[in-house]
Amino acid sequence: MGGGGFTMEPENPALDDYVLSLARRPVPKICLLPTASGDGEAQIRQFHATFGARACDAMHISLFRLGSRPIPLRETLLGQDIVYVGGGSMLGLLAVWRALGLDKILRECWEAGVVLAGLSAGAMCWFEWGVTKSMGAPATSPGLGFLKGSLTVHMDGEPARLPVYRAAVADGSIPPGYAADDGVGLLFRGEQLAEVVSSRPNRQALRIGAQEERLEPRLLTGSDRFGDEADIAEFRAVRSLRGR
Amino acid sequence: MEPNNPLLDQYVLGLCRRKKPRVCFFPSASGDADHYVVRFYRHFSSDICDPSHISLFRRDCGPGKVREHLLKQDLIYVGGGSILSLLGVWRAHGIDEDLRAAWQAGVILVGVSAGSLCWFHSGLTAYHHDAKPYQGLGFLSHSNAVHYEEESDRRPAYHQALRDGMPGGYAASDGAALHFIGDDLHRVVLSRPNARAYRVEVAGEDVVEHPLEATYLGERPKLELAAA
Repeated sequence: MGGGGFTMEPENPALDDYVLSLARRPVPKICLLPTASGDGEAQIRQFHATFGARACDAMHISLFRLGSRPIPLRETLLGQDIVYVGGGSMLGLLAVWRALGLDKILRECWEAGVVLAGLSAGAMCWFEWGVTKSMGAPATSPGLGFLKGSLTVHMDGEPARLPVYRAAVADGSIPPGYAADDGVGLLFRGEQLAEVVSSRPNRQALRIGAQEERLEPRLLTGSDRFGDEADIAEFRAVRSLRGR
Repeated sequence: MEPNNPLLDQYVLGLCRRKKPRVCFFPSASGDADHYVVRFYRHFSSDICDPSHISLFRRDCGPGKVREHLLKQDLIYVGGGSILSLLGVWRAHGIDEDLRAAWQAGVILVGVSAGSLCWFHSGLTAYHHDAKPYQGLGFLSHSNAVHYEEESDRRPAYHQALRDGMPGGYAASDGAALHFIGDDLHRVVLSRPNARAYRVEVAGEDVVEHPLEATYLGERPKLELAAA
């Protein structure tokens, strides 16, 4: 996501519902990694407010607090249907992940079929390169490289990123890739772009290389909503019976 | 920043030459946790010093400005949390070099828990059943262990690491502070009368712990004079 979802548009659940609809199970297990925000409490709270009200089993992992609450990282993440990465500092995100071995665990997750989602830093991290403002001015920054190419985000919301990105692609310092507005989601199946969606009208994505190509997103509508009220009510009833 | 115990805070402020020392807090090891930043400002209020902090995860100034800011400080205080995350984030932002420059310029570097471990050559991560060695910034050539009396698995893990070749070093319990000048231990001070610190090293096939002489910073209970 170039931006959007529960942290940026809590009143509009379209992208978060879309993410849930990609899972392999009807009541998916979804885990937030709020690392890029330094495990920010506001991000964690908003995640649970959004996903706690949906037919899913939501949890988060605060990597900074593992010392006091140790959990088996690999097993827990491999047990998810969706790993959702929040926004923040791309540089900080990758530094912490590498220090703790999350880069390898997440690749295993991806290869095992876990849906990897995220916005902003949490979207660029899957590519070879992104554009970070972690050092102040926008600058290119390497990602995990599961997806070939590069991504820049907040094309409409933070216009200073795009020229830095275009120049870096043009001079060959980073490979070609994509630029996405806030509210735009790019779905990759394997390494192939499968769909471009948007939570709001009049948003766009660009494919940027030797030429630029405009990608017209499909506007998400009510029919893309994940689950319906009856499902949610039933799920909650079952959960309360299980005593959770 | 111990609750209701300002002794170590007063001690580090007392090391500064300026009357109102400039103190910069790094909460990086906690992921820049809001509650920790607030706690810093409560303990290091503007009545007693000139406080500031740097949040790398919520940052809007450039790297040149960070170094400039750090070089102006009397004291840099590093908070606790995850040592691996701390070192990873610092290295990614080039803060390790900024801190070396500050140290060489005479800025006093202090910290608690992960904020202590970071200055040394090496140590062990705190994951409870899975302590692993890591390389710190290495400003001090020794190894370091913290929470040494409080967490029962730290001592055996540290001893094993020393036998496996980690350089000898210093272990401290909560409330014990190791004060180095350059690479040499200058003194040990305590904010709690029962806190302890040790020099720990391999001797032959054994690991030996030398308890270090330490000064309690609080007032000692007055001795009752024997009746004349």
